[in-house]
Amino acid sequence: MKSGSNRKAQNAGADSAPRPGQPQGSVPLGLADTVAQSLLHIQTELGGSPDLQIRRIQIGGERRLEAAAVHLSGLADPAAVNEFVLGSLLNHTEELFLDRTDGGADSRGEEASLPQQILSRAMETGEALLQEEWKEIMLAILSGDTAILLEGCRAAILCGTRGGEQRAVSEPTSQLVVRGPKDGFVESVATNIALIRRRIKSAKLHLEVLKLGSETHTHVAMMYMKGIAGEDLIREARDRLNKIALNEILESGYIEELIQDKSFTPFPTIYNTERPDVAAGNLLEGRVVIIVDGTPFVLILPAVFTQFFQSAEDYSQRFDIAILMRLVRYLSFLVLILGPSVYLALTTYHYEMIPTTLLINLLSQRENVPFPAFVELLLMETAFEILREAGVRMPRAIGQTVSVVGALILGTAVVEAGIITPIMVIVVALTGIASFALPAYNMAIAGRIIRFAFLIMASIFGFYGITLGLILLVAHMSSLRSFGVPYLFPFVPLSIKGHKDTLFRMPLWLNGADKPPAQMREEMPDYMLLTTGHEEQLPPLIRKNCRTEEENREE
Amino acid sequence: MGKVKIGLVEFFSLTVLFELGTALVVNLGMGAGRDAWLSILLGCAAGLMMFTGYAYLYRKHPNQPFTAYTRQILGKYIGAPVGLVYIILYINLAARDLRDGSTMLAMATMHNTPLFILSALMLLSGAYVLHKGVEVLSRTSMVFAFVVLGIGLFGTVMLILSGTINLHRLLPVLENGFQPVLRSVIHQNYMFPFGEMVCFTMLMPYLSSVKKGPWIIAAAMVFSALLLSFTMALNVSVLGADIVERSPLPLMPTISKISISDIIQRVDIFVVMVLIIGVFFKMAVFFAAALIGISDLFKIPYRKMLYPCALIILFTSMLDARSFIEHLDEGGTLLYRVYPYLMIVVPALLVIVTAVRDHFSAPRPG
Repeated sequence: MKSGSNRKAQNAGADSAPRPGQPQGSVPLGLADTVAQSLLHIQTELGGSPDLQIRRIQIGGERRLEAAAVHLSGLADPAAVNEFVLGSLLNHTEELFLDRTDGGADSRGEEASLPQQILSRAMETGEALLQEEWKEIMLAILSGDTAILLEGCRAAILCGTRGGEQRAVSEPTSQLVVRGPKDGFVESVATNIALIRRRIKSAKLHLEVLKLGSETHTHVAMMYMKGIAGEDLIREARDRLNKIALNEILESGYIEELIQDKSFTPFPTIYNTERPDVAAGNLLEGRVVIIVDGTPFVLILPAVFTQFFQSAEDYSQRFDIAILMRLVRYLSFLVLILGPSVYLALTTYHYEMIPTTLLINLLSQRENVPFPAFVELLLMETAFEILREAGVRMPRAIGQTVSVVGALILGTAVVEAGIITPIMVIVVALTGIASFALPAYNMAIAGRIIRFAFLIMASIFGFYGITLGLILLVAHMSSLRSFGVPYLFPFVPLSIKGHKDTLFRMPLWLNGADKPPAQMREEMPDYMLLTTGHEEQLPPLIRKNCRTEEENREE
Repeated sequence: MGKVKIGLVEFFSLTVLFELGTALVVNLGMGAGRDAWLSILLGCAAGLMMFTGYAYLYRKHPNQPFTAYTRQILGKYIGAPVGLVYIILYINLAARDLRDGSTMLAMATMHNTPLFILSALMLLSGAYVLHKGVEVLSRTSMVFAFVVLGIGLFGTVMLILSGTINLHRLLPVLENGFQPVLRSVIHQNYMFPFGEMVCFTMLMPYLSSVKKGPWIIAAAMVFSALLLSFTMALNVSVLGADIVERSPLPLMPTISKISISDIIQRVDIFVVMVLIIGVFFKMAVFFAAALIGISDLFKIPYRKMLYPCALIILFTSMLDARSFIEHLDEGGTLLYRVYPYLMIVVPALLVIVTAVRDHFSAPRPG
């Protein structure tokens, strides 16, 4: 916000100095008395941008009045501008002026509220309001609204004509289900809100909108269920959102990074989803949903560890199947972080644990390979990471090549060339597939990072390193909090009631009329809650803003 | 103490892991021969009596660690040095535990890794966890208590399935009368591991409930005594008293007897895991007790003394003995000559002073 206002102030300052090129340079940019002047100001502010559409009209019957409608082509919906804005201005204002000329003589006070009258009697658009603030008017035009300027009036009528091209609602690309709804969020915040509202037709579903980013003015919507979500959680989320000071917010990741409890951790502490059904489900469980304009990824908070292992499909399949799927996911996380390191520890330090025949087999394979197991594993894992990264960023058309080349080279050729043992290929492939089995991509990335740490520990210390690594990992995780909720919540601190939907998904008839997390949170003893928004744990940027805010207050 | 409170379940698991610590894998109470299991239970009874005293002091001063109420009870000039002695005791215990643990590790699997590296890694991990706070330590202990119990269950079931358990090896009970058992209790078992509960006097102010807290800890002591006694009985019934007596880590050969159709065999790495977990938590609890004492006595912030204290523990552990035999010998002497004063005599004095004072000051209504 700060830098934006600074820039504006500078502009105003520059304009107030008389400049030969600009006839109206002496006045700061703003709404002027005449339409022509105001239009010139708008054009100057936008740098004479050609996509600014100005339609100058004359409204009224016998007494004509200069007016102009301004919008940006491409952002505004042309049909709405034509029909509801210009149409209503041209068609309905005549009788308005007739009325005014009749009654104008006896009440002079009415003169000032001509825009008000147009607003209340002529405008056909659903959203319209009178605005005097120059900044707001510019912001509205830049967001696709139409501004109507009237001669002799220092206010503009803003009509909601936002539209333009948008991606249609389509199937989510990152979180797929076999059975379940197939619609996904899109880039428009309004559509996303509608997608959620369509699922929860309840008056308790509250929505708060704010604009963040001093340059982008991104709409950020916060949704929650009043009465289900904890009041302190809502307050905390709102506070942290308001403290964000960034110039640009282009994705929900920007916000996620700023409002999470702790910056230095590989683990995500805020969930994100592309699926409206997941967002709706989490709202009903008392979480807060944050929708950012311009991205289909919606933030859900607070998020605990177990949440990243849930998939929308768990609730559409029968519970026994869901339990199995979930256990497979936890198992795959374990395989992901420990698979290569356990293999390494077993083969280099504790080979007595491997059954003898297998050990002989392994050793005969290793005979032809020049590298120690650690180097071998590191080579293979790095190659796999490169392959995966290439596969993600590749243009679609040549995406097939990567998998073919990868499978051939890393699978077969590398073994035949005697660089890697075949069993190593199995280990790495299993780890790679395990990382894809996790429903949350960011948790999979966290696992991939941690895997390398374990790999190094295991290569130096064997199982000793792995055990200590596990202790450190659990300690780190139990020191994490997501908006005041301990990250390992139903496990540590232990809550039997919280376990109905974590490791297992209990059947709905057991789960059904259960307490939402918010209520469970309220029932949790005080010492488990600790602080929401612990100052020390907030990210540096927000902490800095808090401090400057306090300083301002003191001044 | 701060607002930080630790839940009862977490405290239970922390106590269990602390008690199991190294005791689970060593030949505990083997002075009593095949009746070691009995001497452990008796030791626990003695330990519980000592703990009653600690609990009494805690109930009287629910918000203060041990080093704080010594000053209150004995006065500043006697209390502060006593507190200092206890801090040194905790540092010493942490260092001894670290030496125990890393040497056992070196014996069990890491034959070629220098002892110093093993100790340093363990201690750094402990420092990291304590940097996060005592409540993080207790929460972490909960997860690993489940891991240890799971491994124990797995080991037991596998031993039963392997058919190596022979309960006749436990017989006859009390072959030489009660004498050996009592001697073993007096020499070792009441002090190790149950007398070491004295360091919980530093942690008990974190308890979330003054009323239930001591009961939970006592329950954890009984629970771990049962586990220890069960493990020793298992060792004897699998290996026989002779081998157990001579082996420094009898649980290793016991578990390595597991063999199920050539697929599950030599799973003694699980014992090593239990050893690492136990040593880690025991050392971390002593470390935390020392840190709390230092921050209480010298009014230095807890985190500031973390790394200096870690260094002291590391070097004490490395320098206290030239070999493991000397280390064990020292340990035996300390256990018999020094620890009883600190774990029984001083707390007993405190209890008596407090009780007498209460008796004379309380009944004066109006």
